[in-house]
Amino acid sequence: MLAHVAVLGVIFALPGLFIFTRTSQLGDELGETISASLAPLGRTILLSASVASTAVLLGTSLAWLLMRTALPARPSLRVLVVLPLVLPSFVGAAAFLAALAPGGILHGTLDLIGLEAPRFRGFWASWIVLSLFTFPYVFLPVAARLLALPPSLEESARVLGRGSVATFFAVTLPQLRSAIASGGLLVFLYTVSEFGAVQLLGYDTLTRVIFASRLSDRATSFTASCILIVLAGTVVLLERLSRPPQRANDPVRSHPVEPQQLGRWRLPALFFVLFVILMGLVVPVASLATWAWRGVRDGRVGVDGLLGAAINTSVVGVITSVVAVIAVVPLAVLIVRHRARSANVASIAVVSGFAVPGLVIALSLVFWTLNAPVIGGLYQTLPLLIGAYVIHFGSQALGAAEDAVRAVPDSLRESSQLLETSASVRLRRVDMPLMRPSLVSGGGLVLLSTVKELPATLLLAPIGFRTLATEVWGSYEDGFFAEVGVSGLILVALSAMLTWVLVLRRSDAIRAS
Amino acid sequence: MFGTLDTVLARRQPSPVGSPADRHGDGRAASSAVTIADVSVTFGGSDDAVVRSASLDVPAGQVVSLLGPSGCGKTTLLRSIAGLQRISSGSIAVDGVTVAGGKTFVAPERRRVGMVFQDGALFPHLTVEQNVAFGLRGRSGGAERVAEVLELVDMGGFGDRLPGTLSGGQKQRVAVARALAPEPAVLLLDEPFSALDAGLRVQVRRDVKRLIARLGITTIVVTHDQEEAFALGERVAVMSGGSIQQVGTPTELYEQPSTPWVAEFMGEGIRLAGQLDDGRVTTSLGQLPARTTNSAGPTSGAVDVIIRPEQLVVEAGSEAKVVDVEYYGHDVRYDVELRGGHLLSVRALRADFAVGDEVNVVFAGADVPVWPR
Repeated sequence: MLAHVAVLGVIFALPGLFIFTRTSQLGDELGETISASLAPLGRTILLSASVASTAVLLGTSLAWLLMRTALPARPSLRVLVVLPLVLPSFVGAAAFLAALAPGGILHGTLDLIGLEAPRFRGFWASWIVLSLFTFPYVFLPVAARLLALPPSLEESARVLGRGSVATFFAVTLPQLRSAIASGGLLVFLYTVSEFGAVQLLGYDTLTRVIFASRLSDRATSFTASCILIVLAGTVVLLERLSRPPQRANDPVRSHPVEPQQLGRWRLPALFFVLFVILMGLVVPVASLATWAWRGVRDGRVGVDGLLGAAINTSVVGVITSVVAVIAVVPLAVLIVRHRARSANVASIAVVSGFAVPGLVIALSLVFWTLNAPVIGGLYQTLPLLIGAYVIHFGSQALGAAEDAVRAVPDSLRESSQLLETSASVRLRRVDMPLMRPSLVSGGGLVLLSTVKELPATLLLAPIGFRTLATEVWGSYEDGFFAEVGVSGLILVALSAMLTWVLVLRRSDAIRAS
Repeated sequence: MFGTLDTVLARRQPSPVGSPADRHGDGRAASSAVTIADVSVTFGGSDDAVVRSASLDVPAGQVVSLLGPSGCGKTTLLRSIAGLQRISSGSIAVDGVTVAGGKTFVAPERRRVGMVFQDGALFPHLTVEQNVAFGLRGRSGGAERVAEVLELVDMGGFGDRLPGTLSGGQKQRVAVARALAPEPAVLLLDEPFSALDAGLRVQVRRDVKRLIARLGITTIVVTHDQEEAFALGERVAVMSGGSIQQVGTPTELYEQPSTPWVAEFMGEGIRLAGQLDDGRVTTSLGQLPARTTNSAGPTSGAVDVIIRPEQLVVEAGSEAKVVDVEYYGHDVRYDVELRGGHLLSVRALRADFAVGDEVNVVFAGADVPVWPR
């Protein structure tokens, strides 16, 4: 098992190490490439900081409005407000571009009121699109924290003479700080790694530089990747350090809490929530749907062609999730049961696989296989693509695998040992049934991420191997909005289904009435 | 444990905060009467009232316990007084001023009530001092007041500690200090000691009781624990199913319960069927004198009676058998099975019998309460 973990750690750390090694070998070129990367680095940081702060403002205010106030239809609004999560940001970006293009729904609407559609490009466009599709990453942990927060804290503040606004800032907000920080840093990381949306919207961040220079100017590509890894690593490290030691939540008594009456703010607040849902969900989906409907009506797009892409997406996703779960279970056993130090080192490698942008992992695997004599044959094969996915998303299965191992406590294993001598029977009848739910949900999260992934798929998929993500991408590049619409809708539907089963259905905050 | 109380009270003249509540000038805060009139509370959308037509008068300076099993609506009623829960009908007034009822709803932050929650609800990100000062925002002499109330609850040396580092009893003391700091008109305690260990609970309870008695503040305590209700409350309101069943002193409730339910909730007892005739009830334990204080009670016919364990005595005999003995030190409890299969509990001072002994059970009380069947 130790050997397995050692190999696992090395594999997960490989892409990063490879990039670092190659960058360090650049020699004199290094200074040049670093100075060439500084401006894109600035743009990456500017965009990530802007998107993260906007997501924090949106996610926190929406969580408070939907968890604490007397807004009407809160249970439905809570679900709707999380749904922008199901749109991969590059699909969202494509949907907005399609909506603002002549014939798109926003273009038409603006035309009606005599306005010209704005040029949707660059920083502002990227900022708006990424904020709209990432704020649920803040909303979910903050809403969960609000639900877990003992109501007596806020009630105490009220009884002690503070109004509702003062109570929010003096008592509620300090309690939400760690949830806001972890959500905000996740969004920051997401934006640092983002490739598809910034590429479509033409904002020159590091990822765009890496992609553009990957063939013509490898030195710049390596350096930019290296900077990106350092940036992402710093953010993850900050998040870890700022995370307070986990406190057990006090059991919350179940007396119903009076929701905050909003008075004259009720209508503006409701409009705010509905506007976010409109922009994050309704407009992009409607934009895709109108183009798709036109295409299908005029017989320009066949759904048949996309069936293959949908099947490819699903099959690769399922294989990836199975491989990822199998790969990390031994590590989870070592972490949970034996608290092995080697396991912790390996787990850092696994988690860093998530922090390293998918584009960089893909790029490193491309160069590595192209240059290595024996494994060169792996280039543009499915195993390499799946390997990249597993390295990138394995950490999402690790947490669930640890839960699965914890589901079989020592006392239970010991009592089953006393009752049944055969290890395989014990595994089948005791361990597996208890571990299955967590393993399935861990695998599901990997599947969801794989379905939405773009840059690694673009770089590593075998020639002619089409997935829904590459289909959306390719159609947009070719200017076929109708095909973008159809494949985008299928992708969104698939992702929505997985999100519902894996995230929303399990969230107490979403289900709370 | 609050040994410093008297000195602190002496130091309080004149009040450093110059509070309007301290009208007596003797350190005793002027407190306010609470009038609850016909209050009902219904939670959103449901037809079932959690509190039904509850009425209760709490004179200024009195301590009243709201006692009832969980889910009886007592906490909801308390939260209505604080303004944390809106009432559906009826009214609540403090010192004759309506704070809830009709179109009136005074926000909790304007009601001048102090509240101590079951979990203490100390703000985890603030120190003990900052917690206590929370309700004093913008007042002059705040720091002195904080030191003073912390002294009152014997937590003087803990000002810069974070709540996470305190024990359960210490947390509740700080919670009491925080509630008292702004000199509220009314103090509300919601199961304040239930999260504490048994021994600590009694200690903190005694300390808090002494403190509120000295301050003379109107206090309403919610509890599901009969012992706690009796120990703290000058009067006790018993709630069940959302209604206040009976209000009285602990003695009144124990000796003259208005319903069999109250009687059984007030303490252990066995309920027997009997026939009432001319002031005497014929039961399977023989003829017992009926209690006559309840003028509205029945005068004859089929009735229920409640017999308390301490109203019975066991003697050597042959009519019953001891099936269990629980020895408590200061007294002993026998479970005795009568010939007919009836099980009785008997409280005695001495453990004279053992399991299996043949005994007689004799009624030794003055009388028993009766209700029509």
